[in-house]
Amino acid sequence: MSSSDVHTSELGNLSPAETSPASDDLYAEAVLDARLGREARDVLEATVVLEAWTGRPAKRAMGHARRLVSLDGPTPRAMSDLDPFDDSSQHSVVAEGVALVLLILSVAAWASPISKQLGPDVLSNAIRVALPIAVALQWGLRSRYLSRPEGLECLARDGVPVLLWCLLLFDLPLLLFHGWGPVAAMLVPVWVGGTVITMRGWGLLYAAILVVGTVAMERAVDPYIVLGSLAGITLLICLAAVGSVSARTDLRAGSLQRAVLAGLIGGLIGILLVADPSLGWGVHGLHPAVALLPSAIGSFWGGYYLWNFYDAVPRGLRGVPLRGASRIALSDPAMSIFVGGIARLLGATIVLSGIVIGIGHWTHGTDAASVFVAFGLVGLLCLLVGLLEAFSLYRAALIATGAGLATELAWRSAMHPTVPGGALAAGAAVAVMISLPVLLIRLARSGGVLATTLWIQ
Amino acid sequence: MLLITEGTYPYAVGGVSSWCHAVLTGLSETDWDVLPILAGRKHQRPTVKPPPNTRLLPSIDLWSEGHAPRRLHARRTTDHGLLPAQLLRGLMPWEGDLAGLTAALVRCRRNPESIRPEFRGRESWERFVAELEQLLMDSHRDSAPAPIYDAIEAARLYQALYWVARTAAVPTPPCDVLHVTAAGWSGIPAIIHKALYGTPILLTEHGVYVREAYLASVREAAARPGHGHISPRLALGMTRAVYAAADVIAPVTEANAEWERGLGVDPAKIRVIPNGIDPPKEYTAPPNIKKVIGMGRLDPLKDVQTMLLVADEVTRRLPDARFDCYGPPTLGQEMYADACSVMHRQLGLGDRFRFMGGTRDPYGAIRSGDLVLMTSISEAMPMTLLEAMGQARPIVATSVGGVPSVIRGCGLVAPPGDIHELATAVVTLLSNPALAARLGRRGYERVHRKYTLARCLGAYDELIRELAGTVAA
Repeated sequence: MSSSDVHTSELGNLSPAETSPASDDLYAEAVLDARLGREARDVLEATVVLEAWTGRPAKRAMGHARRLVSLDGPTPRAMSDLDPFDDSSQHSVVAEGVALVLLILSVAAWASPISKQLGPDVLSNAIRVALPIAVALQWGLRSRYLSRPEGLECLARDGVPVLLWCLLLFDLPLLLFHGWGPVAAMLVPVWVGGTVITMRGWGLLYAAILVVGTVAMERAVDPYIVLGSLAGITLLICLAAVGSVSARTDLRAGSLQRAVLAGLIGGLIGILLVADPSLGWGVHGLHPAVALLPSAIGSFWGGYYLWNFYDAVPRGLRGVPLRGASRIALSDPAMSIFVGGIARLLGATIVLSGIVIGIGHWTHGTDAASVFVAFGLVGLLCLLVGLLEAFSLYRAALIATGAGLATELAWRSAMHPTVPGGALAAGAAVAVMISLPVLLIRLARSGGVLATTLWIQ
Repeated sequence: MLLITEGTYPYAVGGVSSWCHAVLTGLSETDWDVLPILAGRKHQRPTVKPPPNTRLLPSIDLWSEGHAPRRLHARRTTDHGLLPAQLLRGLMPWEGDLAGLTAALVRCRRNPESIRPEFRGRESWERFVAELEQLLMDSHRDSAPAPIYDAIEAARLYQALYWVARTAAVPTPPCDVLHVTAAGWSGIPAIIHKALYGTPILLTEHGVYVREAYLASVREAAARPGHGHISPRLALGMTRAVYAAADVIAPVTEANAEWERGLGVDPAKIRVIPNGIDPPKEYTAPPNIKKVIGMGRLDPLKDVQTMLLVADEVTRRLPDARFDCYGPPTLGQEMYADACSVMHRQLGLGDRFRFMGGTRDPYGAIRSGDLVLMTSISEAMPMTLLEAMGQARPIVATSVGGVPSVIRGCGLVAPPGDIHELATAVVTLLSNPALAARLGRRGYERVHRKYTLARCLGAYDELIRELAGTVAA
């Protein structure tokens, strides 16, 4: 006697009326069809449906299920459904781009007044120290927080301790160095805080602050006051930007170990940028900062395009049969996006470099093509190394940037710096040559990229 | 003892967590290690403090960003590149290669640093794809032809197998008996420990793991038609592996045992140990205020939407009837909870049906009503029913799992999702206080007779000693 029989005998008939086996099967088939919208895939699937939605005990449901599952039906497709890509982080792209351009232009515009008031070496040395630190912190923050869909919510939770640690470890110690130290200590929060503010979508506000700072600098206000105010205001806005996001206490931030590795890669790129003495940051006026503009914009554009990777690669593989999952194809989604990103970077860099060279007389003689080539290669390197980092290929990324830096230093000591930016170009070219094949080998197989690189971290 | 939990104790509220806490606290002479397995994208904090005889081990966080064990120069095993395909063969076919699976899992434990490089290798992926193609062509009498996978489904499966390997790599402390609380992910560390040291495994099945995985997949399939072959098949593979490795399987109800036998478990391995509670000594009469209590998380398995529809129908017939529904949304089911709120608004139930959230005083909540209503589509032996019976409240419930046998003579059952039948049962009891009181009294006596905590703990104590004794012998 089944439990349901016991129940009906004791408590009256509140169960479905008894039916014949044939009509029972018909009813069961109808329930299966209504619940699944297709034939059951196996006996267990049919059993759980019958048990859960008709109240049959397991044994009886399994008996029905065995009769109802078609063993020779058509083979269905397990076509993957994909969640729509969360592109909310791309909405602020214009503001972010404007902020980046204004940041570079402001640094260029500050060169002359700061050099005039504090001496030519102060800004140069400050940039040489502050830039690697800022790039390292930006890469670290991006890895742990900013590149994630809910990164700002996590940062809202961890913001104050993160800020204090960054200040204590990387910024305040700079104050100990006389002359350039305080300037470097003020530049770091302006650059790093700007990244957080623009990621929050407040890029235009950040740009406005930079404009005000630049105007003040042009009007010969004491650079310490301007830079100090900019640093303080940037930090305050940064805290407000993060504080205005509702903190999520239940979400995990990215791995600290990965953030440290990303920071290390960023730091190496920063050192690469400043290790070439022929560029003369701050000494040659607008020269290096403006020359950086084309490649920075190109890199920004190409990098944004590569954001599609996580969405477009799975989407491009949707419906691709297993046999095609491992084939080598240059037209596969991974490779297409990669090539698209590179094309954007190179296209923008070449066109904008041409424009900047064309108006060289206006930009205080920024017309050495080699400098633009060097910065273009650095932009390309950033893109490649960023991709290596996204694929968790940290070792390759570190080897490439490390080798690039070693080449640059060797060039610097072995060759006379006759070609402006020559050492930087050599270093960046070596780093690109090391990282590019690693990526091409991976990207040629979209299925493999997805399975072994994007989804196995 | 090593207790391995999955998504429950001590990080979640619910029946399994309550049971774990009661067992750990009740068997105070036993030293326990608890190894929790969690879905790790979120920070989770314990909801309850384990008793002094318990040591909480660091959790295994599935799908998290935590690093796989690494060594700068990982040793290359002789069968490098085979691991994903071996795990696939063990877990995905209708009847997998369990010996091969155990060997592969043991290899993960012994060479944890080789897992990540192996899964990231092109050779492993290609062997895996070849194996998958072969496997999808296999046929079995209980299964329709497998669906054709696309590259993404294959990559998803590959990623799931990577996490199986990562789970297998986590070391387990020495123990006399392994106590597994679900025949799924939590069985993986136990299978390896047993293979390495011969330690016996006790499996307690609260809900049938594979049934719940299939139910989740069916619900998902309704929303996304192409979805849902991997997770139930993986659950089936894990369940079969845990069933094979377990020395004793202790389902909480005979209804679970039916499933276990249906899945080929040797009946001699199965010993039903029903849950138990510490019931109050004093009988409390219902307040006769036409209030219905719902107890349970806001979760599709609890079918709260049916409860809302039942409330709608009951309040049409008895306008002064009231419903209080206690329980928080299940983690990850917040959208379902939102959908319930929308439905509540659309039905215009207002104060006649209230979502009360979680409660720290479930007994008080139950006592505040005249009967307890449960509309679940899947249950094994819900603690809520025992608690309702202990408080002498009659029950109206769906006839799922072990429910009919537990509340026999103490309430009314109706088929799941049958709004009319459920509403009729509720109206019957609310309109007949004498009948309701009689059923409540019978429940109270039945709990004291059959479902006490002491009885449940005694059975476990005896079983654990027996299993530990076999090791000592």
